[in-house]
Order: sequence, then structure tokens, then C-alpha cells
Amino acid sequence: MNEEKKQRPRAFRLDSAAGPDFVVEDRPDPYEAEAEALAGDAAEQAVEAVQGRTILRGTVFSWSGLLFSALGGLASFAFALWLNSLVEALFARSETLGLIGLALAGLALLALLVLLGREVKSVFRQRRIASLHIALARAHAADDREAARREVAELAKLYEKRPETAAARKKLAELRGEIVDGRDLIDIAERQLMPPLDRAARGEIAAAAKRVSVVAALSPRAVIDVIFVAYQALRLIRRIAEIYGGRPGMLGAWRLARAVGSHLAITGSMALGDSLVQQILGHGIAAKISARLGEGVLNGMLTARIGLSAMAVCRPMAFVAQKPPAIRDVAPFLFGDGGAGAEAPRK
Amino acid sequence: MTSFADLIAEARNSAANLSEIFLRGNGLRLGVTGLSRAGKTVFITALVQHLTALAPRDQKNPLPVFRVAAEGRLIAGRLEPQPDDHVARFAYEDHIDSLTGPDRHWPQSTRQISELRLRLEFDRPRRFANGPAHFDIDIVDYPGEWLLDLPLLEKSFAQWSRETLEASAAAARASFAADWRGFVLGLDPAGGEDESAARRAAELFTAYLRAARADAYALSTLPPGRFLMPGDLEGSPALTFAPLHLPEGYEITPATLAAMMERRYEAYKTHVVRPFFRDHFARLDRQIVLVDALSALNSGPAALRDLQTALDDVLAAFRIGRGNPLLNLFRPKIDKILIAATKADHLHHLSHDRLEAILRQLAARAIARSEFSGASVDVIALAAVRATREVAVRRGRETLDAIVGVPLAGESLDGEVFDGETEAAIFPGLLPADARAAFRGDALGIPEGEADYRFLRFRPPVAVLGPDGAPLPLPHIRLDRACQFLFGDRLL
Repeated sequence: MNEEKKQRPRAFRLDSAAGPDFVVEDRPDPYEAEAEALAGDAAEQAVEAVQGRTILRGTVFSWSGLLFSALGGLASFAFALWLNSLVEALFARSETLGLIGLALAGLALLALLVLLGREVKSVFRQRRIASLHIALARAHAADDREAARREVAELAKLYEKRPETAAARKKLAELRGEIVDGRDLIDIAERQLMPPLDRAARGEIAAAAKRVSVVAALSPRAVIDVIFVAYQALRLIRRIAEIYGGRPGMLGAWRLARAVGSHLAITGSMALGDSLVQQILGHGIAAKISARLGEGVLNGMLTARIGLSAMAVCRPMAFVAQKPPAIRDVAPFLFGDGGAGAEAPRK
Repeated sequence: MTSFADLIAEARNSAANLSEIFLRGNGLRLGVTGLSRAGKTVFITALVQHLTALAPRDQKNPLPVFRVAAEGRLIAGRLEPQPDDHVARFAYEDHIDSLTGPDRHWPQSTRQISELRLRLEFDRPRRFANGPAHFDIDIVDYPGEWLLDLPLLEKSFAQWSRETLEASAAAARASFAADWRGFVLGLDPAGGEDESAARRAAELFTAYLRAARADAYALSTLPPGRFLMPGDLEGSPALTFAPLHLPEGYEITPATLAAMMERRYEAYKTHVVRPFFRDHFARLDRQIVLVDALSALNSGPAALRDLQTALDDVLAAFRIGRGNPLLNLFRPKIDKILIAATKADHLHHLSHDRLEAILRQLAARAIARSEFSGASVDVIALAAVRATREVAVRRGRETLDAIVGVPLAGESLDGEVFDGETEAAIFPGLLPADARAAFRGDALGIPEGEADYRFLRFRPPVAVLGPDGAPLPLPHIRLDRACQFLFGDRLL
């Protein structure tokens, strides 16, 4: 900093009659650029809207919810009644049988409680990731140093059981003590922590897309590939959530699937110009060769698209310092150009 | 210090606060303060203009960080009759006329306490209570000088006299303090109750304070505040006193000049200082303190240190803390303070971080104290109205990051004297990378030729007219961030 040479304040009249000996260059307005960066990222807004609507949604009152809760309550009463009468019947027959029945019922209850607890825990974990995503995006937008430090510490805590992130976490812990701008700290965290996870997620997407397209191309019945695609999609969503630190159980996976679904619905129109043309084209060429092959490519693309949405929704931070992957990056084989597509620029 | 009157006032405040909450619903009282020429009036005017004239949806959002506006949930904003009838109304219409009228100029400065109620209508995204809602912001504008009077409550006349005389003896102040010091040192405290001598002393004392406040020196810690900002008290006996030369341990005897001065000093405390803190000041929820750090930087390190003392006193006056929600019903505390360096458009945005660092240094003690009591404090560089744009000036091989604007008539730099009509590209110099460097030294009123940096003042920008002929909100720098910090969290 000491090399910074002192420069005297200066004034340049812009209407100088003597003919200026200087050139004034307009510069892009930094505040407008900042405002655009804040308002313009529609993709990020879509992710946050979806997270707010699905994953982060607490228990909400709704009539359908009330109906199902009431019906569920009645059903559990019926079940408890049936269990009760069963155990009583067993006791009536012999005390030993009754005791065994009681023990089995107790075990079932215990297992149910544990499962329920895990389910709740996983939902909360996914919520934590989603709120972390939003908090990090906000801290990044506001360039808030304190918030950035807090949230990055939280982020590191999320991955403290992952040995492959140890080096990155150590570096971040060192940086947190130093004076780094909030925005820079978050960018550094993204560059340090996310790439291995992103790579793993992309690998999963590619594998799932490949499997789906092959099965769809080969399967004898349409029903089979519908079931297979649905199964693969759900599995892919769960895998990606696990990669980014979530542990979705059944309820969690259902919520995630809903989040991915609405994210697809929102971003579907945004991506129209982006890759649908390519998709139709690709489909067309493949379909010319064989109708089945075309089916396979289309199904593969659908799966890859689901995977990308899952990535956006499950990732604990937005794509800022890193480029968000496009379909071409994760499944280049669907476009028939081998690995070349991975370098294709997005937008 | 707590007197019966204070207790009564406390009770009245609590009652007023409770009735506000229950009768009126949602709202907060936002205090806007700062020493004179910090830009309070411009800040409030710009804030109200932005929030009342919302840009149509298809245009660029002028307040991207203010979430309620960015999310498109802000429906309308309008001015409402204010709740306190005995306080002057903030003359928003006049100020907006001066800013955007044909002869655009900065509005008249704050002279007394004034108030304005702004009602925001917005859409509530909350789960149980979604739908339209409204939120009232009572903007209370008062001169920061008045806050500097708070330490006086603890000081006797003799003590205050000694301190004021000592401060004026500093070498840097000698040039403009000489007249008044000469007169006061010649006065005999034990003399008779001479009204004309008292008047003369008060006049000279006021002149001294004004000179110290002037642009060239830009000093800040100059109590009593009403001498600079008399409000409605101009010429009253409560303001006709001045410090006297009283040696340590001096006994004031009745019916002397000293006794008269002491009585008036005490009257000033009881009738001016205390009621202000009691009636207006105690009910604020949020506070923004505007700081004109650039004038102090222009003047020199001594002025900057003086500003630091003043800010300390200003922030010590607030009733800060988070408190518990139930107690807050009766006795609100300020839970968020924003310290803003105004006129950030006078320097290039690359220097804003350094300006914020200097501001942080200026308010360091106050920030530590506030955070200890649980309030959150933030520091930003803002310009409520942005009068310049940024360019790069290339001459020969060097390139300077400069700003372009119309400097006010009479401003001068680099051998040029401006007439208030011509545009100029100004390179104001670089602020020191280490904030502490700006505080080192004793210089005061550094002449322009020797300064490392010099910040000129500019005329307001030409307002762009909207389709209906009314001026669109003026450009700003980080006004939206200030909004978000001060009341964005309540608009959910």
C-alpha cells in the first residue's frame, strides 16, 4: 500500500476554451451495474422462491391438510383399536402369546418413532440448507461482512464430516479471521468448497441420464420406461441432496421432489431459448435414425434437466463464482458431439 | 437528575407510545440527525420522494436493495398528517421544489425539530396475515447540535466555562477566538449584573462558535448547541450568556455578573435542554446519524478528531438497546443505528471503502458501546442525491478516476474558480489507505494548495421529468441500503 503515490487533487474544466489537453472517457456506472446484478438474476430468484414455497414452508393450515390429518388420526385410531383387540385376543388365548404380541407391538412402535425422528431431522436439515442458501445470497447481495462470516462458518459446519473438504474448510477458517469483504469471502467459500461436490453431482446426473436414455431406447413397453424414469429421477434427487449435505428420508424426498418440480415449472420457460432448440434438433436427428433412439435421448434430457434443477435447489449457495452447468455440460453424449459440448458457453 | 417533571414526562411518553401502538397499529419513529450541513434535509427529501413516487413496474427499480420495493410488494407511499401537533411539519414540498425547480439548489437547512409521517402500503407475504398492510414511518428531524448539550446537564457553570476557555486557547483556534477571548478575559466576574456586557459576550461567543463551524475549519464539538441552532429561541435571555474566566475554586457571590450568567446557564439547561430530551427524543425506535466527514477531511486531522468527539457525544445521548418486547411497549429503545457518511458522490466509488473505514474509525467508540448494549450499528457511505457521474480522465500517460458535476459557485480547486454553471471533471485526491493516517497531525483549516485531497460541493443534478411532468426521483447512492437497514425488517 505504501507504493501508492500521492496525487494532487485536480480539476478539468469541460468547457475549456483553450482546447483540452486531456481525454474524458465515460465509464459504465458502477451503481447501475450493481443494481442490475442484484435485480437481474432471475435464476437465483426462482431458486429462492421455490425454496421458500416448498422446503422452507412450515406447517401450514390448509383445508386439505386438515382433512388428511383428521383422516390420518382416524386411521391410526382404527389401527390402535385393532392392535389392542389383537393383543387382547392373544392374551385370551395364552399369556405367553400375549406378551410376545405386546413386545412386537412395542418394537414396531419404537421403530416407528425412530423412523419418524429421522424423518423430522432430515426435513430440518434440508431446511437448514435452504435457509443457508438464501442467507448467503442475501449476504452476498448486501456485501455484509458480519453476515458472510456467520453464514460461511455455518456452511463449513455443514461439511465438517466430509474428509474431502478438510483442506478447504481449514483455509476458510483462516480467512474468516482476516479482513475480507463479505462478498469476496462468500465467493472464496464457493470456489473452495463447492467444486468437488458439483463434480460429484454432475457425475450422478450424467450417469442417470445415460441409464435412462439406454433403458428408454431398449425397453419393450412404454410403461416400463415411465416407471424407470420416475424411479431414476427420485433417486437422482436424493443422491444430489445427499451430496450437498442433506439426508432426505421419505417425507424429505417428497418435499424435495415437489421443490424440483416447481423449479422446473418456473425455469422451463426461461431455458426455452437456451437449450430447447438444441433438444428438439437433437431429438429430430436421433429420431430420424430411429424413433426409439429419439425417445431415449428425450428421456435422458428430461432426467438431466431434473438433475440440474435438483442441483440448484439443494446447493447451499447460489452459483455466483462458479458457472451454473447446462444440460450440454452434464450430458454431452445426448447431443452427439462427445465431450466437445462441455466447453459450450451458456448464454 | 431525575426530577418529578421527568417522571411525569416519562409516564406521558409511555402512555403516548402505548396508545400509538394500540390505536394505530404498525409503525416506527425514525430519528434523523447530524450536525449542520451533514445533509439531513436532503436525505429526508430524497427518501420521501423515492418512497412516494414509486417507479412504474416496467422501469428499472431505483431501490434494488430495499427488499419490499425490489420484490414489487410496495404498493404506494403517501404523506399523512403527523401525530404530534406541536411540532413543525417538515416542509417537504418546499424542499423538493428547491431541488428540482428551474433554479435548482440545495434546500434550506434544518433549523429546528420537525416531523413528517410517511405511510407505506405494501403487500404482506406472511403466512397468517398476508394481504395488504400499511406501515407508518414518523420521520423526526432535529439538529445534531442539540444532542451535544446532553453533557452540559452534568456540568456546572464554572466547569463548563473553564473547559470552553481551555478549548478555545488551542493554537489552531487562536485566529478566530482572539476577539471573544480578549473581551471575556477583560470581564470581571464579580462585577455588577451588566446586561450590555452579557449581550456583548454572548454575541462574541456566538460569532466564535460560528467561525469555528465555518467551512474552512469545520469544527464540530461546540456546545451549547442552541447558539448555532437557536430554533425558536433567538434572542431570548436563556441564550444570552457566555462562559466567564473563573479560576479554580472561585466562589460565585449573589448579584454579580457571574451569578447572572450562572442563572441563565441553569435556565438554559432546565428550559431548553431537558424538555427536548424529554419530549422528542425519548421515543425514537431507529436512528440515522448523518456525518459530513468530507468537510472535516478538507479541514484537517484536528477537525476530524473534533468530529470524533462530537459523534461520541451524539451517540452517547441515545437510549440504546434491544430491551424486551413488553418493556418496549412502554419505553422504546433505539435498536438500530445507521451512521452514514453523506455526500459520497463527491468522490469516486473506488474510494468509498476508505471513506467507510474512516467513518468506522470516527465512530469506533460509539459503535463498541452500542453493540455492547445489543443494538446493531452499521456504517455506510451514501449520497441521498447523486450530483455527479464517474469518468476516467486521460492526459498523457496518466489516467485519473474522476467525477463530473457542476461545482457550486465559488468553489475552487487547482487554480480554477467555478461559477456554478460549468461542468468540470474533478479528481479529488486519494484518501489514505490506513484510516488512522487521516487522524494524525494537528492541522486545521489546511489551505487548498497543500491538501492531499479536496472535496468540492456540487449543484444538484438536473431532474428528469416523468411522463406526467412531475420530476422523477433523483439518482442516489445506497439510499436503498439505508432504507433496508432502517425499516426493511419491519415490512414483512
